[in-house]
Amino acid sequence: MDPTRETVMIRELARTSSSARRRPRRGLGLVAVAGALATVVGVAPAAARQAQADTLVIDRGMDINSLDPARAYCDTCQIFMTAVYETLVGLAPDNTTLVPRLATSWESNAAQTTFTFHLDPKATFADGKPVTSADVKFSWERLKGLAGSASYMVSTIQAIDASDPHTVVVTLTQPNSAFLAQTNGSYLGIVEQSVAAANGATADPTTDKAEPWFLAHSAGSGPFVLESYEPGNELRFRRNDAYWGTKPAFAEVVIKETPQAVTQRQQLEQGEADIAMQLSADVASGMAGPDVSVQKVPSYNFVYLALSPGAAGGEGLTPQVRQAIRLALDYHGLVDVTVGGAGRPQASPIPNGFAGTDGLAEPTQDVAKAKELLSAAGVTNLTLDATFPSLNVYGVDFSTAMQKVQADLQAVGITLKLNPVEISVWADKIGKDGIPVTMLYFAPDFTDSSQYVQYFGLTTGSQWQSWSKAPANTQEADQLSKAFAEPDPARRAAVYHQLATMMIDDQVIIPVVNPDLFLAARSDIQGMHYSVCCNLDLARLSRG
Amino acid sequence: MIRYLARRVAVMPLLLLGTASMVFVVSRATSGNPLVSIVGARNLNNPVIVAAAKQRWGLDRSLPVQYGRFMINLLRGDLGTSFSTRRPVLRDLWDRLPATLELTIAALVLGSAVGILLGVLAARHRNRALDHGARAVGLLGSSLPAFWLGMLLLYLLYSRLGWVQGPNRLNARVRPPTRLTGFFTVDSLLHGQWSLLWQACMHLVLPATVLAWGVVGIVSRLVRASLLEELSSEYVRVARAMGLRERTVVATHALRNALLPTITIVAFAFAYLITNAVLVEKVFSWPGVGSYAVEAARQLDYPAVAGVTLLGGLAFLLTNLVSDIAYTMADPRIQLS
Repeated sequence: MDPTRETVMIRELARTSSSARRRPRRGLGLVAVAGALATVVGVAPAAARQAQADTLVIDRGMDINSLDPARAYCDTCQIFMTAVYETLVGLAPDNTTLVPRLATSWESNAAQTTFTFHLDPKATFADGKPVTSADVKFSWERLKGLAGSASYMVSTIQAIDASDPHTVVVTLTQPNSAFLAQTNGSYLGIVEQSVAAANGATADPTTDKAEPWFLAHSAGSGPFVLESYEPGNELRFRRNDAYWGTKPAFAEVVIKETPQAVTQRQQLEQGEADIAMQLSADVASGMAGPDVSVQKVPSYNFVYLALSPGAAGGEGLTPQVRQAIRLALDYHGLVDVTVGGAGRPQASPIPNGFAGTDGLAEPTQDVAKAKELLSAAGVTNLTLDATFPSLNVYGVDFSTAMQKVQADLQAVGITLKLNPVEISVWADKIGKDGIPVTMLYFAPDFTDSSQYVQYFGLTTGSQWQSWSKAPANTQEADQLSKAFAEPDPARRAAVYHQLATMMIDDQVIIPVVNPDLFLAARSDIQGMHYSVCCNLDLARLSRG
Repeated sequence: MIRYLARRVAVMPLLLLGTASMVFVVSRATSGNPLVSIVGARNLNNPVIVAAAKQRWGLDRSLPVQYGRFMINLLRGDLGTSFSTRRPVLRDLWDRLPATLELTIAALVLGSAVGILLGVLAARHRNRALDHGARAVGLLGSSLPAFWLGMLLLYLLYSRLGWVQGPNRLNARVRPPTRLTGFFTVDSLLHGQWSLLWQACMHLVLPATVLAWGVVGIVSRLVRASLLEELSSEYVRVARAMGLRERTVVATHALRNALLPTITIVAFAFAYLITNAVLVEKVFSWPGVGSYAVEAARQLDYPAVAGVTLLGGLAFLLTNLVSDIAYTMADPRIQLS
């Protein structure tokens, strides 16, 4: 220490040493405050307890991109849309049968180009006004006009006739037998035109200003209304006390942002959450007990390997090599490694249970035949880039799955260079040069097999025809047109069966795991059910 | 000093504009397609949907035009609209900043207090068991990754033993207090909502402890070293010779001087805490700026990334300024000019 500072310190010392001794003690005050706080943490009053029982808390990682019905597109959005905005057509618990919702009945012409819906005259919005055909026309035209992510489901609409307030006549640009199933998709929920328009909603993207309003308000006819939304924190619903149907049991529902599966489990076990929806098999194991029930249900979600022969570096992926890759994979091993056996292999890009999948043979591993094919093709020491998005979806960790794929292919002499990246980087790469071998996931938006053919089939301009840069398969396009024009469900299923077989033969999309879904809830929660269109229907839930 | 401060404050907007330009260039130079988070992977080849999204978010414009719009909006105080939350970035930050500040301030106070206490104990009991114990606690805090420690303590203290409250700022079944400051502890106190205040405090305990532990290590080692130096100085010998009690000598005189370098460290510890809050917020589902920053970067949400970076830059500049001012207050010989 320098001498000057020493002198200053000593002077300071002389000045303050006596006053330092006289400082009052404040510890007792703090103890008193702490004591006062402790006394308020008593038993909650009866009214508060009742309010807490009337509130349902769901833990999940929210992936909400918007709450505007014309722009929303995510898993949580499906829950939100189903709770707040009703569709014309509902879905029975069997996940197959379409049932009345806002429409009491419907019919289509033989060509599958005109669909007529008869609205329930009792249906009203949350403010008591009736649901009319004009609201349906406004909602669907806005969905198409704003070209949000779900707009592809109404892209074939040519005109909507709303001249009768209780009848909606939709004319399509081309046959579309999937249209009825699409109207069951939660994104086609109906918005109250007068309220939305008063808050800036139009069908023109250059004039529409309603999204900020929709992030804080709702204008639907569903069993719940939007109470509040804080991105990254919580989505809060309030019961629509004027609901025209059977009123839901819970007065309030909160979806709490809880991205970690482990945290979801902990909060459920502690009673701070009533439902946890995104548990992986390992997190869910050993969880069921007197306070918590766990349902394992088959899902329609799946994770797949994609082979792109047209990608830069994918030239070696000839049909024989792709077939060898398909044969080299240990499908049951993949299910075991990724989801601890809680799932199953899937034969085609159309998932098990959808129209056309009955009788499809489960994929099996045949290493000898795979080697034989590679040998016949003269392929030795093939090395492929395997850039994939670093994701954990439906309990499947992509890195784990790709390591297993890498090991399986190594056994037949194919080397994968694994390269996990953020999905935005992955999207950039696949959109430019393509990626020879990659992994992605898919979940359905509605209950028709056409969505899979349009996305995975090699019809010109489909998502994977573009990404894989594989030659277009005109037969698939023809068969899809045939399916769209076929009004009979059984005959349509037969066409989709052919399409599923063709897509298997394309060897571009190889599903690797169709994971089960774990629905965990407090034991007193009733009505848990996974729905293809809607994920979780909040109105069906109650506390026993 | 006033002139010095005015000069420092005046240069801040220029520094922030420079930061904004850097962010714009770096984020656009990063290989990645932000459309995947806007339209979803399923629609990346849908020309109608992609064109509408590009047009809406201005991504169809050339980079110079995008830059010009970004800077003009910035000068108007508009950070743009987040691709993922669809709300003004300024509003997102306004909503989330109190959560982060409440957590980091709690961690700073806790970490500094415990760090100083351990440092004093270690210095007073040099090379004895208490010294070794205090140093071990500090070392653990500096060495253990915050996210790992967070998960471990959550499992042990919340899930297994039930001694503390778990993730989030409050239990989902209760409504937060009406916003005055955005700090749940302060707002519930101001509204007289005592049970809410208690719950907010209890929810702070675990994340703040995890976050604070790293600071404890830094502060305790520094205080120990400084205090040992002070205790061997002349004025302490004089104080003892004057008959002052040892506690008074240490607490009132030596510690005051020993804390001088700690001020700088505490200022930097604040930056350390903000950085680590990113991980802790993720583990504790804490809706603060940290988790917002992670999602923004992951999704290439350009406006949100720019907003978070500018906020970080501003925080850094202000922290340095406050640190300089605190120095002059603690040591009258230091003059800012």
